[in-house]
Amino acid sequence: MARAVGIDLGTTNSVIATTEDGHPTVIPNAEGSRTTPSVVGFTDQGEVLVGQMARRQAILNPKGTIYSAKRFMGRRFDEVHDETKAVSFDVAAGPDGAVRFKVRDRQYAPEEISAFVLRKLIADAAKFLGEKVTEAVITVPAYFNDAQRQATKDAGKIAGVEVLRIINEPTAAALAYGLDKKGSETVLVFDLGGGTFDVSILDIGDGVVEVRSTAGDTHLGGDDFDRRIVDHLADEFQRQDGIDLRADPQALQRLFEAAEKAKVELSAVSQTQISLPFITADANGPKHLNTTLMRSTFEQITGDLIERVKGPVEQAMGDAKLTSADLDEVILVGGSTRMPAVQQTVRRMTGKDPNMTVNPDEVVALGAAVQAAVIRGEVKDVVLLDVTPLSLGVETLGGLMTKVIERNTTIPARRTEIFSTAEDNQSAVDVVILQGERERAADNRVLGRFRLENIRPAPRGVPQVEVTFDIDANGILNVTAKDKDTGAEQRITISESANLDTSEIDRMIADAERHRADDVALREAVDARNELDSIAYQVERRLSELGDAVPVHEKARAEQLIAEARQAIKEEAPADRLRILAGELQQVFHALGAGAQPGQPEQQTGPQPGQPGAGGPDDDVIDAEFTEPE
Amino acid sequence: MDAGTGAPSEDTGTAADTGADTDTRLEELHDRWLRAAAELDNLRKRTARDLTRQRLDERARVAAEWLPVVDNLELALRHADDAGADPIIEGVRSVRDQAVAVLARLGFPRVEDLGAQFDPARHEAVSTLEDPEAEPGTVVAVVRPGYGEGPDQLRPASVVVSTKAED
Repeated sequence: MARAVGIDLGTTNSVIATTEDGHPTVIPNAEGSRTTPSVVGFTDQGEVLVGQMARRQAILNPKGTIYSAKRFMGRRFDEVHDETKAVSFDVAAGPDGAVRFKVRDRQYAPEEISAFVLRKLIADAAKFLGEKVTEAVITVPAYFNDAQRQATKDAGKIAGVEVLRIINEPTAAALAYGLDKKGSETVLVFDLGGGTFDVSILDIGDGVVEVRSTAGDTHLGGDDFDRRIVDHLADEFQRQDGIDLRADPQALQRLFEAAEKAKVELSAVSQTQISLPFITADANGPKHLNTTLMRSTFEQITGDLIERVKGPVEQAMGDAKLTSADLDEVILVGGSTRMPAVQQTVRRMTGKDPNMTVNPDEVVALGAAVQAAVIRGEVKDVVLLDVTPLSLGVETLGGLMTKVIERNTTIPARRTEIFSTAEDNQSAVDVVILQGERERAADNRVLGRFRLENIRPAPRGVPQVEVTFDIDANGILNVTAKDKDTGAEQRITISESANLDTSEIDRMIADAERHRADDVALREAVDARNELDSIAYQVERRLSELGDAVPVHEKARAEQLIAEARQAIKEEAPADRLRILAGELQQVFHALGAGAQPGQPEQQTGPQPGQPGAGGPDDDVIDAEFTEPE
Repeated sequence: MDAGTGAPSEDTGTAADTGADTDTRLEELHDRWLRAAAELDNLRKRTARDLTRQRLDERARVAAEWLPVVDNLELALRHADDAGADPIIEGVRSVRDQAVAVLARLGFPRVEDLGAQFDPARHEAVSTLEDPEAEPGTVVAVVRPGYGEGPDQLRPASVVVSTKAED
């Protein structure tokens, strides 16, 4: 089946996405990148290079490498005077005063250049997906006029793809966030990319998205911030060492790479180390650039750039006749919105916490993919599947919760795990069904309990109780416990597992989050106690099996260790102490096995407590033990 | 755990009096079930494929993080070239060789590009040089070597390319 895709055809970079089972995903290009430079190179040999390859040869071929074609789309030659001056290639007037790029003896329309980019995106995507890509939704800035939209559509046609629709970039971003399904909303989309800045205000209602206003700055973006860092570093170096690094192409390239890296790091940490050893040399030998860039310094040297985003935001709100109080949602688009200073400015101006949970580099393409799927009618085929909002499990030895079904598991689902007894000759097990994220059973919700009786007398760890959790599509939980020895079975049906309201679920998850460190410590402590108890039990059992075959002094030592272990467990001794004792007992156990019964294989017959894990239905590993019912 | 087990039986029963509605519904459900099972199978395949790709991507990412260290060793040695047979420099050189060998073992051998014809698939032009000795479009200097080839390219070489004298 042929695929429909969404394409963010950008000024500097483009992104292509599709939907897989109703979820939009970005498709990497043939080079493995999720973004493709919107650059086309025409070589002397008559080759056409697109994307990263075109960019790599740009310096050799300044007249034959076309970039920023989007700035010229659907425009007349006499409108683009300033843009023409900013590029290295030749721009000429074509038929009816349209813009043409002159490359050697040929002229290209901006839509032809965009078509080359589209063709590569589509061809690479088709290869990746193993399917033909025939239809696309392409995004354009909200301020594009009819001629510019038509030119974009034509670019698609030239590239051999059917353009299902041209949609606005901010609209696509809103779709990626699913805002069209949330009822009536007013949304501000703040898009700061590599080289352009756009603000749009959208009205969303009844699945219709309307652009109320747009504003922006066509020459402001992340590249300007990089340039500031480069200048800052180079100026400082020049002051100290008297050499201008910008004069050396290689040094300049290293500076730019370091600047971009520093900028990205400063979004996460408040200072970063910039280290460029052997950046240059003079008569005295090599010179190194080693410095620390503070976020505060970075924000100071880029303060005026940040200042420049304010005007358009105010203008867009003014044109839409809105105040910040009227905004329901603020969405961030473009990689540069990762900068904390940008986010703070947006927060201050709009009074809202801006949303960037969807990758801001990809959100537009993802939204376009969603739109493509909607137009194609693929969405109606999607079966809406629920998930379990909280983990489900049973109480096990030491008062812990052992999870059987993890939270966010898609239902219907069925999981089986094997449990065993904690005492010799334990005749019944209590199955306590729990819901929640905490490690301690008592901190979770009890959904139900039942008892499986008449287990045949056996040493602890030997009986196998198969516990199956089965949740149907309606969230109704069936728990079955089966004694694998006798085949006896008990079950319970719980229908209330699903009817927790969202606030309750959120509270329980937040609770678990808050207590995570304590819970991890608790689980470790209980696991350590269980482990020690288990090894003490095994040594004790081995001693009684061997009887008089064990030398008296060894027996005395083993018994002493067992007593110490039991005491340590009772006193809830620290984990270190438990581990040391367990280690010593382990040695004694092996010595007993190897010394007295050389023929016996090294096999651990006992249970392995505290090892939750991938217990499939055919898995005979015992995951945990039940305590004896009181 | 298998999607195939526990499937509804094919048996439509004898109670055909419920009419065509049930049949259509049954057919639809059967179709959807088949689709779901197929989807699961496809997902399994895709996951396996993605896993391999992600492992390779991650390896490349980690290796690429180390490249600047190797580059800087390289630069250090370049400055030491005319300093004769200093044992420390000899030692550093063997450290560099060791690093290059590690990269090669990871699947990213160093590429020798000096004198090659410029190829944007393997090279990134950082500047040009008028060189009457060299054919135009020849790599006349490697500023930063490239590692890995073809689909396993870790980084293209940064190169200086010759141009025609008197353009």
